[in-house]
Amino acid sequence: MSKYFISFSPGAYCGIFLLVLAAAATAMGQNKFTISGTMKDKSNGETLIGASIYVKQSPSSGAVTNAYGFYSITLPQGLYTIEYSYIGYEKIVKDIDLDGNATVNVELPVLSRVLDEVKIVDESRISTSRNFEMSVNKLDIKTIQKLPALMGEVDIVKSLQFLPGVSQVGEGSSGFNVRGGSVGQNLVLLDEAPVYNSSHMLGFFSVFNPDAVKDVKLYKGAIPAEYGGRISSVLDVRLKEGNNKKTEVDGGVGFIFSRLAVQGPLVKDKSSYLIAVRRSYIDGLSTLLTSNNFGLNFYDITLKTNYTLNQKNRLYLSGFFGRDNFGLSDDAKFNWGNKSGTLRWNTVLSSKLFANVSAVFSNYNYNLGFNQDENNKYSWSSAISNYVVKPDFSYFINSNSEVKFGLESSYYQFNPSKTVGTTNGETVDSSQPKKYALEMAGYISHRLKVGSKLEFQYGIRFSYFNYLGPGTAYIYNDTIAGRKRTAIAQRQYKSGQSIASYSNPEPRMSAKYQITDQASIKASFSRTAQYVHFISNTSASNPLNIWTPSTNNIKPAVGNQYTLGYFTDLGQHAEYEFSAETFYRTTTNEIDYINGAELLNNDRLEGDLLSGNGRAYGLELYLQKKKGVITGWVSYTLSRSELKVDGINNGKWYPTRFDQTHNLKVIASYTINQKWSTTADFAFTTGTPTTYPNQRYLSQGILIPYNTTNARNDARLTPYHRLDLSLRMEGKTINKKGLARKNHDFWVFSIYNTYGRKNAFSTYFSQSTDRVTSYQPIQTQAHRVSIIGSMVPSVSYNFKF
Amino acid sequence: MILTAIRTWARQLCMLSILLLWACDDEITVKTSSADPILNIDAWINNKSETQHIYLTLSQDYFDNKNLPPVVSGALVTVTDNEGRVYEFAEDRTSVTGAYSWYPAKGEVLGVVGRSYTLMVIYKGETFTATSEVHRVPPVDSLTLSYREGQGMMDDTYSAEFWATDPAGKGDTYWMRGYKNGKLLNKASEITTAYDAGVSSGSGFDGVTFISPIRLGVNANDLDEDDRPVSPLVNGDSIYVEIHSINLSAYNYLAEVVSQADRMGGISELFTSAPLANVSTNIVNANKNGSAAVGYFNVAAVSGLGKKFYF
Repeated sequence: MSKYFISFSPGAYCGIFLLVLAAAATAMGQNKFTISGTMKDKSNGETLIGASIYVKQSPSSGAVTNAYGFYSITLPQGLYTIEYSYIGYEKIVKDIDLDGNATVNVELPVLSRVLDEVKIVDESRISTSRNFEMSVNKLDIKTIQKLPALMGEVDIVKSLQFLPGVSQVGEGSSGFNVRGGSVGQNLVLLDEAPVYNSSHMLGFFSVFNPDAVKDVKLYKGAIPAEYGGRISSVLDVRLKEGNNKKTEVDGGVGFIFSRLAVQGPLVKDKSSYLIAVRRSYIDGLSTLLTSNNFGLNFYDITLKTNYTLNQKNRLYLSGFFGRDNFGLSDDAKFNWGNKSGTLRWNTVLSSKLFANVSAVFSNYNYNLGFNQDENNKYSWSSAISNYVVKPDFSYFINSNSEVKFGLESSYYQFNPSKTVGTTNGETVDSSQPKKYALEMAGYISHRLKVGSKLEFQYGIRFSYFNYLGPGTAYIYNDTIAGRKRTAIAQRQYKSGQSIASYSNPEPRMSAKYQITDQASIKASFSRTAQYVHFISNTSASNPLNIWTPSTNNIKPAVGNQYTLGYFTDLGQHAEYEFSAETFYRTTTNEIDYINGAELLNNDRLEGDLLSGNGRAYGLELYLQKKKGVITGWVSYTLSRSELKVDGINNGKWYPTRFDQTHNLKVIASYTINQKWSTTADFAFTTGTPTTYPNQRYLSQGILIPYNTTNARNDARLTPYHRLDLSLRMEGKTINKKGLARKNHDFWVFSIYNTYGRKNAFSTYFSQSTDRVTSYQPIQTQAHRVSIIGSMVPSVSYNFKF
Repeated sequence: MILTAIRTWARQLCMLSILLLWACDDEITVKTSSADPILNIDAWINNKSETQHIYLTLSQDYFDNKNLPPVVSGALVTVTDNEGRVYEFAEDRTSVTGAYSWYPAKGEVLGVVGRSYTLMVIYKGETFTATSEVHRVPPVDSLTLSYREGQGMMDDTYSAEFWATDPAGKGDTYWMRGYKNGKLLNKASEITTAYDAGVSSGSGFDGVTFISPIRLGVNANDLDEDDRPVSPLVNGDSIYVEIHSINLSAYNYLAEVVSQADRMGGISELFTSAPLANVSTNIVNANKNGSAAVGYFNVAAVSGLGKKFYF
């Protein structure tokens, strides 16, 4: 299939767009008024994302709140009964006599634990079959908290692996793979700030503190036009605003780390704050055992505050600071971490026009230092800094038509390596020059309901990237594919001069057809472009992996994804939800590496990189039971993810390291009674691909493995399967005096990898470590590495008051 | 430095993970396919005034742990310099290692700095060639004892440290080779190469003393029964250090060898494991469609110094 299967000139596209918009505008009748407002949680004042507004007299006019809890519905003059609802909350019904624009802010009470969920909310109105979005998974923080977790620590990124279309190379590997995309192709956002390394402790935990997170949404396809910059997926993590009714303290104590979050009002109903901190103590443990400075620890601080200026304007400020420290010994240090900050201004320009302007800063850096003595030391650091300004607008034309448009401007500063070394008293600075780049995008998209069954969203994002001087552009020789290329010429550029620039029109479109009240079909196409690249050639990424811009040699990666899905609600109360989605994805300019590539501190890095194409396709089946004493889901993905790179696998297609033919996940939660509940999850995946040698030879006494077919990833590791269990015990709800306890606490007992399977993370081949003479045959061995090779029990205590 | 650093902390992390009973590394049985053997030319010769060997063997099935590599008999092996001198390597029919040897006359050497040499191997009607240029090498100035107090799970260690200075001018590449009590240290984990005085082309160390990971990179790397590192030196050990000047492509070749052959296993698989790929070669078959060959040809200039350590 041609990569320009759908190719538009941006001008023509905008023309069509404006025409439709004009038609939609003229279709608007007279005497129409707008109801708009914000939906919040009554208990803590948090805005509700994706809550539903249903108009009894006009069922097709429903709306859903946006990422800031805002909604807008336009209706003809008249009397209306409007239902406001959200999963886990009691619904509120309001009768409104509409004869002018109205602001209706609603606060929903949390569903009391004693009530049976089935009786309260008819979720069919907010079910996936009714919802316009496809290829999107929302993970409720309450669901995440129920999952049995490694070491009992609730983790957002680890929870994603239970979703269809998401895979992971193995335990301990940082990041996640979506629909055959690599880890660096996911846009990970924490309150709109890109996160360049989402892992703590080399991948065992993620940087998102669950106590501070409000909403997690993963876009696997049909990526809306407001997102760009990565070709695989978007993980949009939104933080809580902080309780603006009363001060609340949440916390937990586990095996690996402890958490504490404090939130409360600063100015009642106007301003609130949230401070959440985590600190691990595994270093204390190892210090205890080894009595020295060797150890690994991390901490992070998540902050958020907001201020309501008036009914129409609200400011938010959020920040994150996290650090991992790895002390090797007294004279060797290694630390890494992210910091980010987001300032947002929400404004309701009119009852139909909502705007948000965000200013974002994000930085990832690491430092390594060795200090043998004063005359022999070495320090090395690397960083990526990113500054983003992003105005976004939503224009609610009427309940059948909504336009979103906005701009994004992002400035990058790459610091590949700042290295200063002293050898025998002589100091050498071999830092590499910084690299600079500017990425800009503009987008517009229109959502349109045609009749009661059809709904479209079509839009375009136009992105532009400029790799800026000062800098040096290298020109490399051509050599045998797969070999190191050497720079044969170079050219200097002055500050602000463009070294290389690229642009891409990125059409995004999706459609939904409502077959029945309970079932719909959805389809989409999206093109995405990625201008900054994640450089990592090991099975799992590590903290030293760097990001590098597109240059005159490294071209931007472009992805096209087609999806088609069927969504339906099943059961009398729509307690089941089923979906089947297929996807086909092609990518260009995927990066791979020559054998023996030097990825760190190499100013000729480009000479070690290879470029190729990718393709991935699959079927995702998902069945969820949402209500009752037993809830849970089954997710099954059948897929293939491949690359074709000159110089690897004889230039033929080969499966990616994270390709999994079958990926089955089952989760079941059982509420035994008010005190006890239990959750089990089971995972089965096909073993990931690997390469085996078939021959061996000696080079100066060193045994070298050899594959005569020159293949890559033509063998498979043994299948992966695992069962985890957890048991949750709620603390007493009534105190000794028979009154309701103000505090709420619970214990979580869990077992990870219950039957202790040694799942293979990798199989490697080596000669034995024994010393042999040249007259003895060298003994070769195959080894299986299991990152979690046993059953891991854990206990954690969590509280809230 | 960087790679050494990663490797050091990966090794330590392995021990930590064993401590926490997380990761495990088990020897397993894997069936790998069989294939037709290919010619392996192991041709690392130098300017030392001693018999020079080029080893010709055939590759074996990966798990053939019973037999030495089959020797190649009946090949014609010569090295020619750019001035037309021909050095004939004669087959040693008693050799179990496939050696073809050149015996210098008294004082004669093979390998003059600045000259280039071409290897030619004719075997079963096919001609294989490779070229190498001899580069300069600095002298080893001294050897000293380096003591490190035990830290973490490491015991106290004694190592040998050599001192030498890379000559000014970018682009010198070396292979540091250590001998302990007369035995060449040739584990994959003991390969130490240098790009000027540093460990990578981007490191910028040029014309200075070799950096400490290189100076200490000539020691034995052995583990005890519990897989804990053993002190490289014990009282009375003798160490001989050689610096071999190598070609840039040989430096890259050894980087590939390290990535394929030095597998530490355990949790380090997360961070240091590049995919299995064939190590490149500079041996070329005159017939493009002819049989494949592996191996490497390099002619080195060598400097060396030894010392017996008492402490």
